[in-house]
Amino acid sequence: MIFDRLFRGFSAEAREGVEAAVEEARGLGHDSVGDEDLLLGVLRVDRSAAAEALSSLGVTLEAAREESEGMTADALSSVGISLEEIRREACEAFEMRLPEDRRISFSPRAKEALGKALREARRLEDRRLTPEHVLRGVLCVEGGTAVRLLSRLGVSPDQVVDRLDGRRR
Amino acid sequence: MNEKTRTRVGGPDDPREGLEAVVALRRMLEALEAAQVENAFVAGWSWAKIAEVLGVSKQAVHKKHAKRIRDRYPGVPPGRKGKDA
Repeated sequence: MIFDRLFRGFSAEAREGVEAAVEEARGLGHDSVGDEDLLLGVLRVDRSAAAEALSSLGVTLEAAREESEGMTADALSSVGISLEEIRREACEAFEMRLPEDRRISFSPRAKEALGKALREARRLEDRRLTPEHVLRGVLCVEGGTAVRLLSRLGVSPDQVVDRLDGRRR
Repeated sequence: MNEKTRTRVGGPDDPREGLEAVVALRRMLEALEAAQVENAFVAGWSWAKIAEVLGVSKQAVHKKHAKRIRDRYPGVPPGRKGKDA
């Protein structure tokens, strides 16, 4: 597995989350895995503290995916292009999914988030890196897409951290 | 920078949105190309004809799209309907 080096110290769940993030990025046609894809990835790890803290604030996988698409649509409409209209007018085969044979890497922000996740695990003195740390790392990325996505859903990083801290007590 | 100089350049006020639009457009261009090439293939166009209209070499189109499309439509040769001419 190409991720072996990256995944050193990761729990099985954290691995699952990051692998899910790669799938999410591909499905949305992203040409790199962004910090917002990591957010989607941890949401896919059922019953993880990360997914539960997020869903308790109304941030579900579906809501986050939709918001990610909404951000793309808004960016396009800022230059006068309607994603919806293209979907309607283009032929049936049109889908944003990244082709299978295309390689995908982690964006600088995603790398930053994973680095901060490790730092968070150390700070909390946890032995293994879990999806919770990945989420904490994602929330640490200032001006990141994930943080903006959450704020569009009316959720601040502090609120999420509070929920995560609450679950530890 | 005041409002005037900003709007004179054209485009959205927030540079971030404009830059994100570029990223989204790149993705959309890829998706559109894949879809339209597939569409042409299904309509019976040869790789040569598709390449000609795209303004690239036949090899380039083949390399980029043939595997994906062949996997999707096994046993269908391009240009089978003779619509190439």
